[in-house]
Parts: sequence; C-alpha cells; structure tokens
Amino acid sequence: MDLSLETRHEDGHTIIEVGGEIDVYTAPKLRDKITELVGNGDYNLVIDMEKVDFLDSTGLGVLVGGLKKVRAHDGSMRLICNQERLLKIFRITGLAKVFAIHGSQADALAER
Amino acid sequence: MPAGAARAATGISVSIARDPALVRTVRLVAAAVARRASQDEEFVEEVRLAVGEACALLVGQDSDARAQSGPVEVSMRLEDRLRVRVVASGTVAVSDPPTSDIDGVEPWALLRGLIDDFDITLDEHLTALTMSWPLS
Repeated sequence: MDLSLETRHEDGHTIIEVGGEIDVYTAPKLRDKITELVGNGDYNLVIDMEKVDFLDSTGLGVLVGGLKKVRAHDGSMRLICNQERLLKIFRITGLAKVFAIHGSQADALAER
Repeated sequence: MPAGAARAATGISVSIARDPALVRTVRLVAAAVARRASQDEEFVEEVRLAVGEACALLVGQDSDARAQSGPVEVSMRLEDRLRVRVVASGTVAVSDPPTSDIDGVEPWALLRGLIDDFDITLDEHLTALTMSWPLS
C-alpha cells in the first residue's frame, strides 16, 4: 500500500491524516508535506497515524525532523497513535518520551 | 512429512536492486516466511519490521551512492531458529550525517531494541546484518 496524506485545519491546528506505509520509499512524501506546511506558516501540526500500517526508522526520522522544524517556530507536533505495534517502535527508540502521543484526535486537540 | 522436515527444507533468498520501492516486496516475503513458522501475528509483524528495516538501511536513501552499488541480498532460513541474513556491498554509516533528519536517533536502535540476536559485520567491501528468532 502506498502512502496517503489528507490535510485539514481544525481548532488552530493542521491535521495530517496519514494512511498506508511510512517507509524508506514513502517517507520523503510525508517529509515534503510537512516542509510545505511549515513553509506556509502552519506550525502546529497533528499527525494522525490511526490508518498507518507500517512505520520504520526512516519514517521516525521524518517525524523527528518535522518536530524540529515546528519547534524552530515555537510550534508543536502532536501524534495520534493507538496501535500497539507502532507504539512499541516509539518506545524501543526512546521517542515515546520525545513526542506527545495521543489516542484520538479529540485528545490531541484538547491539550493546551 | 513431519513438521521438522518441512522446516529444514525451507529457505528463501531474495536479491533486490537498491531501490527503496522494492523494500516492501522483501517485507511481504519475510512475513510469509515467518507465518510458515508461527501463527503468532506479533512475531510475524516483528520479523516483517526487522527485515524491512535491515533492507532499508542497506538500500539507503542516497540515490548517487545507490547507483554505484550492487544489490541487497536477503536470505531467510527456517532451521532450529528463523535465521535472516541481509548483505550488501559497501559499508553503511553507523552514525547519521549532521544534515540528516534522524539527527540524534541512532540508526540501529530499532533493530538492536527489537531483536535479541542481532549482529552487524562490517568490512572494507561488505556489510552483513544477521538476526535470528527462536521457533516455538
């Protein structure tokens, strides 16, 4: 499955709904999308990963890069992820402590 | 045929060009091999992730470097354990360049954290990643 990216704005945040596989082949598409949004002044991003089937370290790298980009503008990046197989990857790499990971869009948008 | 005999006869080798688009194909093969050994989907997922990760690291993201390199070869064998070996010519950086997006993330952290039996062999001409899992 390829990568799908849908973007919308809600409650002062830009939500990117990601679907499919984030790997060494598709991760550049996500990186380009984040770069484009930050370039347009969207500094508060929510990455919804509920429909992500696969994530490797290339994908993690893109997320870390995105976090650094928005923080450079005093922005934020929140992740939505409730799949144990993906959460395990964040824990193993120590990134569970780096990202704000929420179980739903409502939780992610509720945090101030 | 006894189950053990079937396992001893199971071995698959896949050779792919250094094209990131092909890594997914290897993941599918790895999942199929793992599923032959176990119905535990958590195990299958771990093998799929680990083999895909190893291939992604050896395929690399630098297209100029890829163009000058040979294929990435993956062999999977079901013996006493599921044994996987991923080999490519050239050496792989064990740390990220300063410009990398994964600045600050050790590139092998995921594989080391995921697999108890994981080893990297680097020499002047070749990089080999070996990993194995016990079979229940």
